[in-house]
Amino acid sequence: MVTTEAMPQRQPTRDTGLPQGVGRLTPTWILFFVAMIVITAFGFYAYLLQVNNGLVVTGLRGLGTMAGATWGLYVAYYVYFIGVSFAGITVAAMIRIFRIEKLEPVARIGELLTVVALILGALAILADLEHPWRAIVNLVKLGRPQSPFFGTFTMVVAGYLFASLVYLYVTSRKDAASLAGRPSRFQGLYRFLAAGYKDTSDQRKIDRRVTFWLAVAILPLLVIAHSTVGFVFGLQAGRPGWFGTLQAPGFVVLAGVSGIGNLIMLAAIVRVATHTKDRITIDAFAWLGKLLLGLLVTYLYFTAVEILTITYQPGATEQGLSEALLSGTYAWIFWGAILSLVGAALLLIWQALTREWSIGLIVATGVLVNIGAVAKRYLIVVPSQTHGQLLPYPVGSYAPNWVEWAVVFGLFALGAFMIGGFMKVFPIVPLEEAE
Amino acid sequence: MKTKTIITTLMVLIGAALMVVSYVFLATPACNTSVECSNPVVPFAAGIFVLGLVVAFSSGIFYSVYKGDE
Repeated sequence: MVTTEAMPQRQPTRDTGLPQGVGRLTPTWILFFVAMIVITAFGFYAYLLQVNNGLVVTGLRGLGTMAGATWGLYVAYYVYFIGVSFAGITVAAMIRIFRIEKLEPVARIGELLTVVALILGALAILADLEHPWRAIVNLVKLGRPQSPFFGTFTMVVAGYLFASLVYLYVTSRKDAASLAGRPSRFQGLYRFLAAGYKDTSDQRKIDRRVTFWLAVAILPLLVIAHSTVGFVFGLQAGRPGWFGTLQAPGFVVLAGVSGIGNLIMLAAIVRVATHTKDRITIDAFAWLGKLLLGLLVTYLYFTAVEILTITYQPGATEQGLSEALLSGTYAWIFWGAILSLVGAALLLIWQALTREWSIGLIVATGVLVNIGAVAKRYLIVVPSQTHGQLLPYPVGSYAPNWVEWAVVFGLFALGAFMIGGFMKVFPIVPLEEAE
Repeated sequence: MKTKTIITTLMVLIGAALMVVSYVFLATPACNTSVECSNPVVPFAAGIFVLGLVVAFSSGIFYSVYKGDE
């Protein structure tokens, strides 16, 4: 129900006639865009250094004789970004299939998050390659979808990204048609996007049918896609710590955890930035919190099983790896991740038991699970390379340097720029009839 | 049956067929005995797989936008 007090917040922007501040650049927004461009540019500069001089300017080194890690921060964040992409389509599909109306205001945020996260994931993996152009050409020419490495690109990045873009477009046409009737600098764009849309009962039926079947088609694709990323690690029999049946389901579940966590954080920012507090209510956050809790508890169970398995009767290499994780070099990251994830679970359980949900606490869980997810991604990628050698090589080490951090921060800034840019061109919260 | 439904169904079927054919037949290696013949039987098989996916999911846009039967 729309409250009288809340109405002025959703009035169209005066100087553009568009809702949610679309087309209106305030000094805060200009500052935000400039900051994101500067950080992205610095990341690009670091990347150019890497392209010109090779991966030697990063902290990455060869395995074995060089005692380093060939996959580091870039791959960890690639896995993280692909995981974040889980949220949008999951939420959107759930809304369509199970008709969860309370989540509808955050559907487009989620769909956009998916698209942006997939683009960032693709860029992160390209950053890991010394000759990315070779990969771009040869991937299409020589790639095999059966291979988890290439399947990751064909199914996850290409297929999943395209499917998400289709979904985002189909669900945005109605709002585009609504905005096309108002004079604004984006009127031509809205007319193009609306593509002759007329808000009739027949068209609504068509929309429901299309979005339902798209959701039904995308859900299995989503599970296959995230499992495929898990198979990149889980199918490598010669790498202790990676090889295992739990990798694929673990990737799917942690993808859900980080994705929902990100969606919660972004929804909290959007409701303030677009003055839509009356649309994105505590109900939507409570739904997301419950969803996050289910996934989080499942992932903690997987983690407990994983620890028990590698510590029960380990071989020599597995023992070295588990010691490095639990009490050695990586212990602070491992226990930090566990603390973040368990802390988030406790916050959610407490709210679920008391049935008193707080947006602030749910956002805090979103932050915590993302800290935990990034740390877990790093631990999945790196320790098995430095401490998981089956051949008699010395124990290795890896520390990302400023070039890698600059590229990663640049990617985050690029993602923020894309989301901010979208918000200034199109309503990120679906319009209501009154709008 | 409406033109819209026919074309949409065709798009889904053609897209699915492209994906299945490229995955099962075109992208398989010529042999598994040496590196020289480990490439896909048909070059750009992965591209054909992605094309199939694009065609299949584009059917959603077509079904939503096309008004030929009205």
